[in-house]
Amino acid sequence: MTETLVAQDEIQSVARQCLAQGYFLESFTAVDFAECIELVYHFNHWGPCQRSCVKVLVPKNGGSPGAWSTPSISSIYKSANWFEREIHEFFGVTFAGHPNLKRLLLPESSEIFPLLKSFKGEPKGADVTQSLKLMQEDTREFKTQEAVSLTQKNKDYYLNLGPQHPSTHGVLRVLLHLAGERVLAGEPIIGYSHRHHEKMMEIQTYLGCWPNMGRLDYVGAMSYNMGYALLAEKAMGLVPTPRAEHIRVLMTELNRVSSHLLWMGTFLLDLGAFTPFFYCFDDREKILDILEMATGERLTYDYFRFGGVDRDIPAEFAPAIKDFIPEFKKRLRDYDKLIRQNIIFEKRTKGLGILTKENALAYGVTGPSLRAAGVAQDLRRDEPYSLYPTLDFQVPTSTDSDAYSRYWVRFREMEESLKIISQLVDKIPAGETKLARIPKNFPKGEYYSACESARGTFGMYLVSDGTLNPYRFHLRTPSFSNLNAIVDMLPGCVVSDVVAILGSIDIVLPEIDR
Amino acid sequence: MEINKDPAFLDTQMPPPGLVNLFRVEDALNLARANSLWPLTFGLACCAIELMAGGASRFDMDRFGFGVFRPSPRQADLMIVAGTISRKMVPCIKTLYDQMPAPKYVIALGGCATAGGPFKYPGQYGILEGIDKIIPVNVYVPGCPPRPEALIAGIIELQKQIKEGRTQGTMSPAAVADSQDARPAEYRDAISRADFRKPA
Repeated sequence: MTETLVAQDEIQSVARQCLAQGYFLESFTAVDFAECIELVYHFNHWGPCQRSCVKVLVPKNGGSPGAWSTPSISSIYKSANWFEREIHEFFGVTFAGHPNLKRLLLPESSEIFPLLKSFKGEPKGADVTQSLKLMQEDTREFKTQEAVSLTQKNKDYYLNLGPQHPSTHGVLRVLLHLAGERVLAGEPIIGYSHRHHEKMMEIQTYLGCWPNMGRLDYVGAMSYNMGYALLAEKAMGLVPTPRAEHIRVLMTELNRVSSHLLWMGTFLLDLGAFTPFFYCFDDREKILDILEMATGERLTYDYFRFGGVDRDIPAEFAPAIKDFIPEFKKRLRDYDKLIRQNIIFEKRTKGLGILTKENALAYGVTGPSLRAAGVAQDLRRDEPYSLYPTLDFQVPTSTDSDAYSRYWVRFREMEESLKIISQLVDKIPAGETKLARIPKNFPKGEYYSACESARGTFGMYLVSDGTLNPYRFHLRTPSFSNLNAIVDMLPGCVVSDVVAILGSIDIVLPEIDR
Repeated sequence: MEINKDPAFLDTQMPPPGLVNLFRVEDALNLARANSLWPLTFGLACCAIELMAGGASRFDMDRFGFGVFRPSPRQADLMIVAGTISRKMVPCIKTLYDQMPAPKYVIALGGCATAGGPFKYPGQYGILEGIDKIIPVNVYVPGCPPRPEALIAGIIELQKQIKEGRTQGTMSPAAVADSQDARPAEYRDAISRADFRKPA
């Protein structure tokens, strides 16, 4: 990974060059130091990984948060729009030229900059006082929008989809601008599930960060465990035991299948098909049984450790997988008949929610949504880690880049994951699952590593000052960028299609809001 | 027939009834309420997935008569608060709660809805530490996340409470006066349905 430090006013030209050379903005965050705020841009390339890190220093000059200014790159990279809003609200950096620089994850009336080191926490009981205050002021926002809709009869109006809506997969709110039933524009409003993971991890030990990994993306938590383990092993120079490596890949792939199954069930539920939901959950429960044997958990896995896994797998683990594979292969054929060849499903999803390659690049879309747009990018193959270089699997792609092809790519990914599982299940070597000694902290320095989660590239940027707690821990979550891309998919469709598009990109809200 | 006037015996009996005793009617209503709980489709975080699993094939909450998830709060009488309550979400939860018809019941599912769960630490800035700080809760289900069996046990416990008359369900709006509520103050602040009928 190349690393360059550029001046504040050069960043726009650097970003333009990067975009011209086909780089997308993978991760963008800030770190608070005594004299300056350091902005860290990670650019990455489709295909074989060529990551480059660009840094910009924003001097504080003794000013207060909000007065520190730097040029915005949101006009060049569309994904920077949300990243910059996030940095603005957590660090108080003002981005000159940003079109809509307001709070993204916290309530708009917040006055804190929580990720600054000068923020020492809120007093006890502040949660109740702020909640009561928010209850009082919340109505204003909704009422002004309502007033617009009533005064302009038969013209355009606004509709709030969410935050409580059965099909938004959690607590997403989409503010739709409609003319009749046609969508003119849609703006996702996020932050309703913000759980301050990043601040929390700054006050925890490195080992204490594991439970957070299970709760970020609870549907595919094993990939997040994998990401943190890779980061730690890269930093500490550990090599996991072969048995642990095998168990890790098996767990991650089983979890990927269960995540895709949950997505498939709920996506079709959004489209009005009730039956697949029960079929998918039935299969998912079988996978959860297998995972539970080893981890003891059903959902928020906290299983990996630095250099190994928490505990060994029981004897009935491998036979259970071997029983499951042929059974599930038969079920996949059933799904194919039930869903893909269903005329209603085709009519509802074909040609819907087109994600062009230009937009995918500008928004930094990764994962199955990107592969459905015809780009075979998969970190398991492009930046191989763990056992993946030794395994035989394909990266399924499609060229239609619509909701239907996103379904089809995920469906085939399940088959590929099964292929990986069946290659490994007979070959689990005997031996230890844990290293005898592991360090308690990361060596001083900064580290970035990424892995392929069920939803796309999960990146972690960690700054360590050598103490027992991380100095800064940034999580680059795939759905954050993927969700941003729906801004360009929504215009022109009808309201029921909004639900189908949201379902097709497979989002998990607590992972977006962090 | 002789009336036993021994005070020791009278103390063990029900309080003296008025002209018309409606206790039995209320019991019958409670039996109906307990056996037709309609939960609100409403998830906040991880626990919502276990809530879905509870409604899906293996656990099948329909067996017990409380699987009729309603997407609209106006049709629901049970709110299962499943997940971490971020402060930004609090006004929305309160609006949903106020929109539910009385009598209504609340289950706090998981550690976060009960008391903040793993996200509670001194000085935290993002979450509300427990839903019971803004709305009354009938049953708390521990776990992070609780298994679907635990959720089912929690709802059965709520059914028991309702049948035995230990809870009447909440008639009142949430802890804070609703600024969206345009009704006159005496209606808005009434604590039960009987109070709504009082002349102004």
